[in-house]
Amino acid sequence: MWLHKNQRTSQDLTLTRRHLFQKLGGVGGLALASLFRETGLGLSASPADPLLLSQAKIDTAQCHFPPRAKNVIYIHMVGAPSHLDLFDYKPELQKRNGQLCPDEFFQGKQLAFIRQQPSLLGTPSKKEFEFSRCGQSGIRISNLLPHLQQVADEITFNRGTYTDQFNHAPAQMMMLSGFQRFGRPSIGAWTSYGLGSENKNLPSFVVLVTGQVLGAGNSAWGSGFLPTVHQGVEFRSKGDPVLFLSNPKGIEAESRKRTVDAINKLNQRQLLNLQDPEIATRIDQYELAYRMQSSVPELMEIESETKQTHEMYGTSPGKSSFANNCLLARRLVERGVRFVQLFDQGWDMHNSVTDRLPTKCKQVDRPIAALIKDLKQRGLLDETLVIWSSEFGRTPMGQGDVKAKNVGRDHHREAFTTWMAGGGVKKGFVYGKSDELGYGIVEDPMHVHDFNATIMHLLGIDHEQLTFKYQGRPYRLTDIGGVVADKIIA
Amino acid sequence: MLNLSKLFSIVGLACIVLQVNSIGDEIDFDKQIKPILDSRCAECHGSASREGGLRFTSRDDAMVELDSGKFAIVAGDPLVGSLVSRISSRDPGEMMPPDGKRLTRSEIELIVKWIGEGAKWSKSSESKHWSYVAPVRPVVPAIEDSAQLRNEVDYFVAKKLASQGLKLSGDAPIAQMLRRVSLALTGLPPEVEVVKAFLRNPSEEKFEQFVDDCFDSPAYGERWATPWFDAARYADSNGYQADQIRESWAYRDWVIRSINQDQPFDQFTIEQLAGDLLPNATEDQRIATGFHRTVTCNVEAGVHPEENRVNQVFDRVNTTGTVFLGTTLECCQCHNHKYDPFSQEEYFRLFSFFNNTPVEVKLTSGVSYDFYGPKMDLSVDEKTKLKRDSLIDELAKLKQEKERIGLAAREKLDDLKSKLASEVQNQITWTPLQILNFSTASGEAHRVLDDQSVLVGGLLPGTSRYTVDVSNELSLVTAVRIEALTHEELPGTGPGRGDVERPNFILSEFVVSAGSSLTAEVDEFEVIPLDESFADYSQKNWEVRKAIDGDQKTGWAIGQQFFKDHWAAFRFKAPLKLTNSNGRMRFLLDQNYGRGRTIGRFRLLATADDVSTLGVSDEIRNILKLEKLNAGQQKKLDEFLSKGQPELLKLQSRISVVEKKLEALKPPTTLVMQEMDKPRETFKLTRGDYLSPGKKVKAGVPAVLHSWNKELPDNRLGLAKWMVDPKNPLLARVAVNRWWASYFGRGLMASGEDFGTQSEPASHPMLLDWLAVELMESGWSRKHIHKLIVMSSTFRQTSQSNGDLNSRDPENVLLSRGPRFRMPAEMIRDNALAISGLLSTKMGGPPVMPFQPDNIWRTVGRNGPKWNAAKDEDRFRRGVYVIWRRAAPYPSFVNFDAPDRAACVIERPRSNTPLQALTLLNDQAFVEMAVALASTVVSRFEGAGELRTQLAYAMQRCVARVPESDEVDVLQQLYEVELSRLTQDRAAVDGLLRNNKAVSGNSIAELTLSERNHLAALSVVCNVLLNLDETINY
Repeated sequence: MWLHKNQRTSQDLTLTRRHLFQKLGGVGGLALASLFRETGLGLSASPADPLLLSQAKIDTAQCHFPPRAKNVIYIHMVGAPSHLDLFDYKPELQKRNGQLCPDEFFQGKQLAFIRQQPSLLGTPSKKEFEFSRCGQSGIRISNLLPHLQQVADEITFNRGTYTDQFNHAPAQMMMLSGFQRFGRPSIGAWTSYGLGSENKNLPSFVVLVTGQVLGAGNSAWGSGFLPTVHQGVEFRSKGDPVLFLSNPKGIEAESRKRTVDAINKLNQRQLLNLQDPEIATRIDQYELAYRMQSSVPELMEIESETKQTHEMYGTSPGKSSFANNCLLARRLVERGVRFVQLFDQGWDMHNSVTDRLPTKCKQVDRPIAALIKDLKQRGLLDETLVIWSSEFGRTPMGQGDVKAKNVGRDHHREAFTTWMAGGGVKKGFVYGKSDELGYGIVEDPMHVHDFNATIMHLLGIDHEQLTFKYQGRPYRLTDIGGVVADKIIA
Repeated sequence: MLNLSKLFSIVGLACIVLQVNSIGDEIDFDKQIKPILDSRCAECHGSASREGGLRFTSRDDAMVELDSGKFAIVAGDPLVGSLVSRISSRDPGEMMPPDGKRLTRSEIELIVKWIGEGAKWSKSSESKHWSYVAPVRPVVPAIEDSAQLRNEVDYFVAKKLASQGLKLSGDAPIAQMLRRVSLALTGLPPEVEVVKAFLRNPSEEKFEQFVDDCFDSPAYGERWATPWFDAARYADSNGYQADQIRESWAYRDWVIRSINQDQPFDQFTIEQLAGDLLPNATEDQRIATGFHRTVTCNVEAGVHPEENRVNQVFDRVNTTGTVFLGTTLECCQCHNHKYDPFSQEEYFRLFSFFNNTPVEVKLTSGVSYDFYGPKMDLSVDEKTKLKRDSLIDELAKLKQEKERIGLAAREKLDDLKSKLASEVQNQITWTPLQILNFSTASGEAHRVLDDQSVLVGGLLPGTSRYTVDVSNELSLVTAVRIEALTHEELPGTGPGRGDVERPNFILSEFVVSAGSSLTAEVDEFEVIPLDESFADYSQKNWEVRKAIDGDQKTGWAIGQQFFKDHWAAFRFKAPLKLTNSNGRMRFLLDQNYGRGRTIGRFRLLATADDVSTLGVSDEIRNILKLEKLNAGQQKKLDEFLSKGQPELLKLQSRISVVEKKLEALKPPTTLVMQEMDKPRETFKLTRGDYLSPGKKVKAGVPAVLHSWNKELPDNRLGLAKWMVDPKNPLLARVAVNRWWASYFGRGLMASGEDFGTQSEPASHPMLLDWLAVELMESGWSRKHIHKLIVMSSTFRQTSQSNGDLNSRDPENVLLSRGPRFRMPAEMIRDNALAISGLLSTKMGGPPVMPFQPDNIWRTVGRNGPKWNAAKDEDRFRRGVYVIWRRAAPYPSFVNFDAPDRAACVIERPRSNTPLQALTLLNDQAFVEMAVALASTVVSRFEGAGELRTQLAYAMQRCVARVPESDEVDVLQQLYEVELSRLTQDRAAVDGLLRNNKAVSGNSIAELTLSERNHLAALSVVCNVLLNLDETINY
């Protein structure tokens, strides 16, 4: 049965959010409490002080399991970085560089671009591409990521991740919503739906983008058939950080306050007259909107950070950069935003992988490592799950002439590496193993559904229980799959 | 390998089968079999679960092919189906039930006998879910106190209310009622004057007249098309990564037209599913098939066109199921439906109907795919048509002419192709020419190097002419070549002399003359005509041909590509034959640019080879390799071939002009469905995977629904006609329910997209059936049903609630009060545009781009036009005409729950968020509307009129009713504070009014200062009014 026992409760409370609860499956009580809090309805559990809210702990009794993580910072590398040159060291591949790939790598396989039997492509035998053993754990990470090497002991690498799709948009949807098609809720939306928000003044799911928007477009952080309050809200680095946030020309804050007061006065009158609880909600939303007009710019204002912090992240205030987004991510989880997702475009290296990879790594290495260090020093890493993913990996075979400088790697769905840090995962751990050439998986495979099930588990959610009935069937993030990878949980 | 337990079980089985004949009378299913199935099997194979594709809910379900491809029961043959062997097996991996108590021997015997007798099911056990039985018109219930009731709808509703001890609330106040009706029917508010006139003398007849006027308004179709477009997932782009814009707005206009004309819903259905297959299909009927061309299409590099096609057909089947049958078929893509009586095989039988349209993705070049599928030209008006026809004639004539004089060019083309083919084998051999004498006009020093290149040094004059005499051993010369070479002694290594950092040279003129022998006198030499020039590289504006154009001011240069060797070759117009070998040639190298831009080291060479292909650029070479050329490539080739044929060039430019004119008059197109000549075979796809075809299936419809009339054609048209058969239990119910949901905010069936066994029961099942039958018997008239609804007392109730109703009927399921809910996104825009007086009533045509913030319309994809916010009336068109790009839908619509239209949506969520508040408060589009509303108010009173009257009028435009005095107090207070602020802040006034153009026909700039301040303060008040909950609810 997908009808949760909590559903009864929700129907009793429909007074306020009648549509919202019409089909509520979810973690139920917890989500409800959060929604009421988030929308500031006059229910008993409505602490007004945002500070108090940001420090609120998840009520563990309401989760399916004791949660290990409270918040998520999810970094998605759009286009798919070459995991073979970054995280999954393959000396055998280097040795056999230039040899035609085994038939079974090519025949009967679907490859996006490669059309003729390709040759194997090893990581270049150059100093900057070498893999060093890092930290206590001795995990090998490429020298292209010198800063990440310093925090290797915080990370679990999933070297046996795999997916079903090998084209960008469907694979992104697969990774981020559990379905290759459009129109399903994204992982952030599910999390928001299951756990709600902890900050009255900010959305529960925030998205930050560098470079072009990914192929899957806004659907990558959409709410699908879930109530739209759960969709990711993009905080932009150009123009208004949130659409329509700033007042139009000729209206300043004081004036805006007066207009919101007038709107709410008239709405209040209407509420008394009609007694439609939706009006009460709308009144609260106008107040929240007004508060967001100051809380969001305050959040985006990174100048206030110390010089040391800026140096650590490599941030430059006022500019749009991945580093700035990493720092913003910390500021967001500090303020109780449940799910922060960073997208970075430019990893789709069909050509010149050895030229382009170092450049991209330079952009992200320092800020990601800084984020992990910073969360740790602030005591936030234990309750914040930091995730690195991409829609798939890249082939151990070269695309184009492997002897040429501009050789690249094609899309590869059968084995790639994702990683997680903090939030209840093991420190300095490697899970899963790809074969000696990095083509398939030989140990502990982790399907996208397993990956997502594990994330949900760390948040205290049973991925099979968090469902929503739509078109006559209960849907969940993991479709009909998903096994929690217990081995990576600390 | 057969293990021991299996062997035993088979031996045992045979014994049972031999014995069963001895059991007496025919099996009674209800008494003997059903209890076994219910108690032992139903947990995994019952109505709630369908493990392995098997369940025992009906005979059909039990006999259907399993997910494994086997059958559990084959009637009459207990040993063939897997059921008997599974229940008698002792193998833990095989036996059923897998745990718990095993079936007794006598139970197994009963089942064996029952299957042997044909596995008969009793009728009573086969009762179908209500929605799969065709509706029969229910009797309208009798109600004692019927004074308040107006039509049949009310009787059903009142009956249900009475059963809960409730009754209908009274009518809403007239102004609110007119507003509700007007918005519900047209998506636009009533005119203040119309409401006023009505209030002076209200009557039921006048109300009906008002309703009829709404039905007659073209705005009706615009309003009702929107929910249909959500269901039909209509958008203006392809979706996915590329998300190109594509033309199919004619379908959008067709839907609006069809709804306005009250096209019967059955016909509306047939034309969208299969208009193309109707005999003598009209243009409109073909346009209607755009319904199923709205599916998304992936043209990402690396896409597999067949996979994309199969996904599109899946979408067509699923959308057809949801929109017309209220049924979720998607589950059956991979396995038998877990809950509803649809099998995977039946899914693919439906799939077969849609499996005959062409692939819509095509590899166009390299790894680049394009959207590609049947589309049709729309007809154009007579004048345009005549103009087009005459242009088409003219073009044909010009092309004929070109053909005629182009014969030579074609021969040239064939010749070229064969030469290019042989060129690969025959590399051109260049022979260095021996230097006999070198002199310069300006006295530079020089040295002849071993390779016969000349290195120039010493004095650096501004300009120079090199005269080079050479001897030539070839008896035939077809072309000569000059190499400009680097040398370490040259500044920056050269090849020019003038500058260390920019060692360029300019070869102004290059002249060759020749004599037939070594002894010939120079003045006997003849200048050799050169007809083509080539170079490895030319600086922009200094192309190599300028070295032989006779103009000393122009020339060949190599700027930006310094420090490298370069070459230029010049072809002789006619090959030079030298009767004696060792003929002499003289080269003049004029370098007139100045500042020492002369060549530092050069070498001269000649060839006797065929150089006719020498000037063929890489671009032309690549074009020649293509099978089919696009317009641009054809033009390039034509230009190349017509070199030296000026009349051809002229003709070509005339052709281009005509083609351009034609392009401008090109009729718009729209996407349509089109059957292929030869239908595809359809296979059941294992686990829905297009690479794993299983059993072949024939087109057909699900058995649980009404039967297929044998007369119907075996194609989409047959399916469409089957769909609208009055025996269809779902179509009419699903349609009226969707309409009801739009009027009341909730359907009679809460899940409009699912009428299956897992759906919540209908709140008013009798009313649903009554309306469904009424729809069919009224000739499928949409307007008839809509009118029944809006004329009913149920719809006209006041939406005032109270604590009692809120607790007894919190979601208004019982309809104890009038509907009240937030408008859909487009209506919020349309309503505000109408209130403000800005609304454009222009209908149809290509989609429009109103104002939206920057950085939204990202060109994630290809072919994305720029977002240029319209400055004319298109800025104020209704929401239904706003361009719908799936990757970047209009942001204010998104904030109010509009879907991205990537997939069919029956019911939009209705959220209530701070982003909505921000949109209405701050979106420039709504701010412009607020200022426009203020202008409209000012115009109405021509500057006069008491302030409170103006404020009340502004509010009345928003909510239709006359505001109460305390409401006007709130507005007045705000106005006064704002006026004093704005009076002191000129910049704020200018800022607020900046985008608005006119008041009473006068431009804002012409207003007096106090008029401007008044307008600005009033605008702030109007901003409030457009944000009221009452303004965005109806």
